[in-house]
Amino acid sequence: MKTKSNPSNLFSRISLVFEELFIFLALLALVLIFSLAADNFFTTRTLVAILTQLPALTVVTIGMTLVLISGGIDLSVGSIVALSSAIIGVALTVFELPLLMAALLGIAAGGCAGLVNGVLGSYFRLPIFIVTLGMLEAGRGLAYMVTGSQTIFIGPSIQALSLPLPGIGVSPAFLIALGLVFISQLVLTRTVFGRYLIAIGTNEIAARISGIRTEPYLNAALLISGLLAGLGGLINAAYLGASDPNAATGLELSAIAAAVIGGTSLMGGRGSIIGAFIGVLIISVLQNGLAQLGVSEPFKRLTTGLVIILAVLIDRWRSRR
Amino acid sequence: MTARIRIEGLCKSFAAPVLEEVNLQIMPGRIHGLVGENGAGKSTLINIISGLLSADAGTLELNGQVYRAPSRPQALQQGIALAAQELSLIDTLSVAENIFLSALPQNFMTVDRASLRKHAEELMAQVGLLAMSAHTPVAKLALAEKQLVEMAKALSMPADNCQLLILDEPASALTTPQVEKLHQILRERVATGLSIIYVSHRLDDVLSVCDDVSVLRDGIIVSTAPTTYLTANDLITAMCGQDLLEHRESSLRQAGDLRLKVDQLSSAIFPQSVSFECRRGEILGIAGLAGAGRSELLHTIFGLAPDRQGRVVLLNEGTEVEVRTASEAVKQGMALIAEDRKTQGNFADKPVSLNTTIAGLGKLGVALAVLLPRREERVSKELIDRLQVKCEGPRQSIDRLSGGNQQKVLLARWLQTESDVWLLDEPTRGVDVASKLTIHEQLRELRDLGACLLIVSSELEELTALCDRILVLSNRKVVATFEGGQWSNEQLLAEMFSAHRGQRAVNH
Repeated sequence: MKTKSNPSNLFSRISLVFEELFIFLALLALVLIFSLAADNFFTTRTLVAILTQLPALTVVTIGMTLVLISGGIDLSVGSIVALSSAIIGVALTVFELPLLMAALLGIAAGGCAGLVNGVLGSYFRLPIFIVTLGMLEAGRGLAYMVTGSQTIFIGPSIQALSLPLPGIGVSPAFLIALGLVFISQLVLTRTVFGRYLIAIGTNEIAARISGIRTEPYLNAALLISGLLAGLGGLINAAYLGASDPNAATGLELSAIAAAVIGGTSLMGGRGSIIGAFIGVLIISVLQNGLAQLGVSEPFKRLTTGLVIILAVLIDRWRSRR
Repeated sequence: MTARIRIEGLCKSFAAPVLEEVNLQIMPGRIHGLVGENGAGKSTLINIISGLLSADAGTLELNGQVYRAPSRPQALQQGIALAAQELSLIDTLSVAENIFLSALPQNFMTVDRASLRKHAEELMAQVGLLAMSAHTPVAKLALAEKQLVEMAKALSMPADNCQLLILDEPASALTTPQVEKLHQILRERVATGLSIIYVSHRLDDVLSVCDDVSVLRDGIIVSTAPTTYLTANDLITAMCGQDLLEHRESSLRQAGDLRLKVDQLSSAIFPQSVSFECRRGEILGIAGLAGAGRSELLHTIFGLAPDRQGRVVLLNEGTEVEVRTASEAVKQGMALIAEDRKTQGNFADKPVSLNTTIAGLGKLGVALAVLLPRREERVSKELIDRLQVKCEGPRQSIDRLSGGNQQKVLLARWLQTESDVWLLDEPTRGVDVASKLTIHEQLRELRDLGACLLIVSSELEELTALCDRILVLSNRKVVATFEGGQWSNEQLLAEMFSAHRGQRAVNH
């Protein structure tokens, strides 16, 4: 009897320690395939290209994952990125504020948008999908108004954030994003806050009966998502060296895709930040790898779409066993 | 006379054998009871007969012919219908549409709504669903009403084709009068030659309605006998292999200090205001028909109802705390085990450990308080052992546990918070006999430790076995309070019906 139950115990123990193992193996496989198929994939240049593009999507995906786990969805993150970067651009060029001030303003703007989402979605009990869909339009509109529908060139002062640090080879933005991934994974798995988000996303009524006030937590998830999208705006402005009101269009869909590839359930209650981060890596590797192979843009999108669907299929198969 | 259904040498294994050499024979026009603890193999057996599972070995005969049903529709075609314990209704469709889902009457290409309604209302009248339109969406129904719809659905098969009806816990959500009505319908149906397999944990129901009863234990039928000479105690002994029937203690205990005071309380879901008190060391029962507002009262006390008026006060050694919301209630030591485990209790797909510790996390105070998985699992393990929860350990998903063990986990959740004001809504519904006794034992132990408990139950026997006092609700009003064991089932029933009778008189 004992020997019989051991293998399944061992297996479940491994997957408990590192639930993201499968998705990580998928990432390695993808890297391997592209290294073999394209001569110049496994080079420093490609790696640097991937790592500088990553941080904005990563921070936005962290927020998205938290919101999805709590049972909601945040469709407004792309627009908030654009709004935040627009405010930063204007603050730096028109009002000539110091970089730190401008950055805080941008992040605060994201926080305000997230708070509006959160209050309407939790205390007013409006459907979060609709509220954030409204914010998607409103935020983009505000971004156009702030910039006068023009791309604002900021200059090299802000770009330092996304340039590789000498000696380390990665940008400050990447380090910030990576740090946030680990912090938020710990918050999710090792704090009461994270546990409550999971509980509310799994069964909101049971959570309320267990004495959890659900509103503050749902509100906090959307607020954090807004703040992180604000940070994403800063990183995006640094990457472009400019504030483009058209930036980050459709970013919310990439963030949802990355979260889902990483094992987050759209029904709420299940997900992992580390997994979502690996999801971001997979999307980036796929995009860059296909570009290196000289694949056309339509085919790139087709492949990315199929990978997302495949990821959900594998996840379904895994959780059924 | 050939048997309606004859089962010989039926075997079925999943990881371990679940059914071993089961022989069973049911004659036409008989109601055959099937009882056994959770996990004894009852569900597997009826799933094989109704076409959801296939047997590993053995033969089945229907009216003397070899019977094979690889799927539910094929079983239905041969006249075998199943009313499952887990309701299979579609919430967004109407009552009528649900009843006739597999055979909607048609006018060329469209559904014939007039005929649908007419046939549905006939069946609804039969099962006692009188007060509603056949076009009511199922989502608006209470659990007991849904169970009656499920029954109507099972009865919707044309009489000339129906051979065998399998009912799995058909009465678990029903009140005593509804159960009696149901049994009367079943008796009428078998008089026309139909056979019925009646699976239930409610032994009194089984003994009163069935002609014969078989007891399953660990996949083996340990006895089959006519019910005439059997008592509930006989069945329990056969099921567990030991005598477990509880005895009500005769000594009157002294209740302690006042702990809970409900003062002029009302809400949107419980409009008539109510006042009562409960002491430490006291179990207060709440009786009433389905729809009498029992769950609504508990939810209102716990702070889950909108538009709450009045006061709920907890008294503790001279201090008084008023409770307004569910989170305050939990912090002050209240616990609620709601009626529907699946939708209001379990965190599905999550480990037993999360399910046991979730309510106690509020005591840690700050939201960024750190969880220690090892400590959490240890706490969970202790509770699992204390309540004899059958599971692999704290990491096992709650979904893998049987109903009785899931209920024990809910109990554990509130033991962990050291609650001493318990609101329990049907604490032993759909739970096997052994788990039921463990739960009762635990509730008595809590009472002896000085907790005050409010228990809602549709089983009058359960209330009588546990309670010191009983509050009777009728039509969302408190109509009577019975003190210290001074009640009989007849008195309780009379009060449960009182306000409903009044209402009907007004309608005339």
